[in-house]
Amino acid sequence: MVIGYKPGTTADRRRPHFIRTPEEADQLVLDSACITNLSGYLVSEGLLSDEKAVAIFLKPDGIRSINILAAEAQLNIDQILILGFDINDNQVTALEGEKVEEFATLIESIKEQAPDALKNPLLEKIEGMTPKERFTFWQKEFSRCIKCYACRQACPMCYCRRCIVDCNQPQWVNTSSHTLGNFEWNIVRAFHLSGRCVGCGNCDRACPVNIPLRLINAKMAQEVLGSFDHFAGMSHTQEPVLASFKKDDSETFIL
Amino acid sequence: MAKIGVFICHCGENIGAKIDCNKLAATIGEHPGVAVSVEYKYFCADPGQESIKKAIRDNNLTGVVVAACSPRMHEATFRKACAEAGLNPYMCEIANIREHCSWVHTDPDMATEKAADITRSMIEKVKRNNKLQPIEVPVTRRALVIGGGIAGIQAALDIANAGQEVVLVEREPSLGGHMAQLSETFPTLDCSQCIMTPRMVEAAQHPKIRLLTYAEVVSVDGYIGNFHVKVKMKARYVDMESCTGCGDCITKCPQKKISSEFDCGIGKRTAIYTPFAQSVPNKPVIDKATCTYFKNGKCKVCMRSCQINAINFDMQDEFIELEIGAIVVATGFQVQNNAVYGEYGYGKYPDVITGLQFERLASASGPTFGKILRPSDGKEPKTIVFIQCAGSRDPSKGVRYCSKICCMYTAKHAMLYAHKVHEGKSHIFYMDIRAAGKGYDEFTRRAIEEDEASYVRGRVSKVWPKMSKLMVRGVDTLLGKPVLIAADMVVLATAMVPQPDAKEFAKTIGIAYDEYGFFNEAHLKLRPVESSTAGIFLAGTCQSPKDIPDSVSQASASASKVLALFSKQTLEREPVVASNNEATCAGCWGCVLACPYNAIEKKDILDRSGKLIKRVASVNPGLCQGCGTCVTFCRSNSLDLAGFTEKQIFAEVMGL
Ligand SMILES: Cc1cc2nc3c(=O)[nH]c(=O)nc-3n(C[C@H](O)[C@H](O)[C@H](O)COP(=O)(O)OP(=O)(O)OC[C@H]3O[C@@H](n4cnc5c(N)ncnc54)[C@H](O)[C@@H]3O)c2cc1C
Ligand code: SF4
Ligand code: SF4
Ligand code: SF4
Ligand code: SF4
Repeated sequence: MVIGYKPGTTADRRRPHFIRTPEEADQLVLDSACITNLSGYLVSEGLLSDEKAVAIFLKPDGIRSINILAAEAQLNIDQILILGFDINDNQVTALEGEKVEEFATLIESIKEQAPDALKNPLLEKIEGMTPKERFTFWQKEFSRCIKCYACRQACPMCYCRRCIVDCNQPQWVNTSSHTLGNFEWNIVRAFHLSGRCVGCGNCDRACPVNIPLRLINAKMAQEVLGSFDHFAGMSHTQEPVLASFKKDDSETFIL
Repeated sequence: MAKIGVFICHCGENIGAKIDCNKLAATIGEHPGVAVSVEYKYFCADPGQESIKKAIRDNNLTGVVVAACSPRMHEATFRKACAEAGLNPYMCEIANIREHCSWVHTDPDMATEKAADITRSMIEKVKRNNKLQPIEVPVTRRALVIGGGIAGIQAALDIANAGQEVVLVEREPSLGGHMAQLSETFPTLDCSQCIMTPRMVEAAQHPKIRLLTYAEVVSVDGYIGNFHVKVKMKARYVDMESCTGCGDCITKCPQKKISSEFDCGIGKRTAIYTPFAQSVPNKPVIDKATCTYFKNGKCKVCMRSCQINAINFDMQDEFIELEIGAIVVATGFQVQNNAVYGEYGYGKYPDVITGLQFERLASASGPTFGKILRPSDGKEPKTIVFIQCAGSRDPSKGVRYCSKICCMYTAKHAMLYAHKVHEGKSHIFYMDIRAAGKGYDEFTRRAIEEDEASYVRGRVSKVWPKMSKLMVRGVDTLLGKPVLIAADMVVLATAMVPQPDAKEFAKTIGIAYDEYGFFNEAHLKLRPVESSTAGIFLAGTCQSPKDIPDSVSQASASASKVLALFSKQTLEREPVVASNNEATCAGCWGCVLACPYNAIEKKDILDRSGKLIKRVASVNPGLCQGCGTCVTFCRSNSLDLAGFTEKQIFAEVMGL
């Protein structure tokens, strides 16, 4: 199978497309509108269970998510053939390599640039706020959340069979759309994705009410990078940042 | 239907003075599900416990909340009382209204209100508690003692003499530690070697003790009763089996100018060496860093001189795995590096030495055969200045604590000096004389009265050389006058500090340490020899500065703890362990990695035909320590901890 893109309803919309024969290849498109990270489809129930190889179109963020999914035992990298591409100034360029390990140098260079790339004027503005102002800011943003969980469905990292929000014994995350429940859900989501989010933007684009999820994602990425030198998706053996420790991790908050 | 009994303790004035216990009992009595709500002066006392038992029987209580001190104090007490009254002990919970409330608040009304909140939250938890049964685990009856100083040797001998197996691991080539370096010991002035060497030999020859020298513990896994320990046997390049300890190789070794660690740099040793003449085992090792062969590829003089071919340059480090039931840590101390005191000139002027170097000079088997001679010119010093607290009780350059032994050993040094050099004069600068201990004050008085040590209360500001003398300038604070003494030698009573690798080592074996690197006891007063990790005990100066009598007492105490543990075949463990919901587990293995006790395994779920459906995490209840790390990690909320289930915690939080 090949997972790629096909035209959508308008010129700047592309849909995921799955083809099984060479003849179908004509149906695929690749242009600067192909920004969705498709890697989440790989972990759909049963897709990889026949142990056959799957080829998939991926940008560098998508390639990083392959590493994370492999590190978290959700897929076997031997089954994945990467058709890598990148988009710069509306131009699509092909990337060298097929196997995820072949992109190691590329990912290394993305990590080098990450401290600058993650910078964002709005983020800096929020950081400059007092805790109270910040709370008000997010309260306002989250007040629109309708708990559709589209952000979760769109995220390749949200592969759990049962999400914590579906757990009602006890109901940790309140399902109603008031301040408490909205904060609970968005904080849990941020926490579960810290050190795992590759910043592909699937969630942000999926949100029907335009909550700026990318800001939260970028902030968490900055935190794990600064505190633990952890950059999500460096390799398929990378240990999850929240389940591992190094002896020289800073201990600023213990004792 | 829940029938909860709530027992509110005054803890004398501790709780009663701040919290209105009568009012609290009345408020709580109204809470749904509460059948009994009473207060009493001391529930932990016998009559208090009896009243709880009676209430359980009379009212058929389904759960108990004791609102009292921290569960660390009396949870076990009250659970036992409940069990005696026929209630499952895990149906009893403690609401901490002392440490969490009365001790930290000033306003009685608000404190009473908060105490009600805390108590209600525990009532809500208890309603959801399950009856748990303790887990039985086997105990491996073999102890590991780490460190072969006096503390380690004492612990090993005590355990072995009680008939249990011991593995004694020492990282140096010989047993002995610091006590082997000392000359005479306060307060009795008996010769250190004479009382130490027989104990070293006894430990080495004991049929129940397996001695591993030149060895280091590299990892400790498992838990109380069932530790798996990996030990690195450093290559000695000398075959322990065949070597007879004749010492021919040592005499022939051309590298003769290596500074001896045992003699604190005052004496010299060879590259193939035993630390001292009475070493146990009395078999040399080759120090790879200084051996000519290892440096240049040529020499092997020792090999040729050995009549029985015991030397083997191809030897490699080896690793042994041990199954261990309990561990005694006795890794000792180091003396602080005095170079931090530039004004005293240690390291710059050869005749400024440490107390430990003075011990080597005074030792009959030391580099000067017990004569007090100056390192610079080998002359006998006529005036010695001793500086106490050279590092201790000095927050700016040294350490904040008192090293406890320096007052005593300095008095001892002055006495030894007076006995050896009759016309010699000693001046001792001190801050206070701390001589608490059996026969200790009498000892320092003897130094002053019989051996005429002159004590000057004050600090030294500078030491500088003049001709062949060391000029010592200080102040006598009692007279309020500056003092200047022309001395031949200056001895610094250096602070006792943890081993330089103590923190790393503590992480390796999994125990806690303080800001300096001394290992933490579980409770300073009530559990002073237990570490914070069950089954690991502490002995000697690795825990805090101590003299020999204290080190030995603590070692014997540790040994008795180990023997108590070994007195049973199995061990009852708290059933507070995690379990996994296999249906919802995503198999991400985060918990496997996060578990500090390696208690989580990967398990295959197969269908009837044996085909793999999925792989999930599975907790081994024998290994799980109930820390809850995995529960907090699991994103799919698949893991839960018995005794602290999500339902219980949630109810507890919502009850607030
Ligand atoms: C100058 C001086 C004079 C003193 N005079 C007296 C006196 O007169 N009377 C008195 O009662 N006390 C005296 N003391 C105190 C006495 O030396 C100590 O109380 C005693 O030596 C402490 O014994 P220990 O076994 O705890 O530690 P140590 O003697 O330090 O033994 C620790 C042992 O553990 C080994 N070790 C360390 N780390 C490891 C590891 N990771 N793995 C394996 N092995 C390890 C070390 O090599 C060492 O052999 C004096 C101390 C000093 C500094
Ligand atoms: S959280 Fe959003 S940006 Fe991050 S990986 Fe998931 S979908 Fe992409
Ligand atoms: S997609 Fe947007 S509205 Fe929907 S749950 Fe996520 S944040 Fe809320
Ligand atoms: S962390 Fe949770 S989902 Fe992941 S393997 Fe463990 S139990 Fe399963
Ligand atoms: S509670 Fe979880 S992390 Fe802690 S020891 Fe048990 S299995 Fe390991």
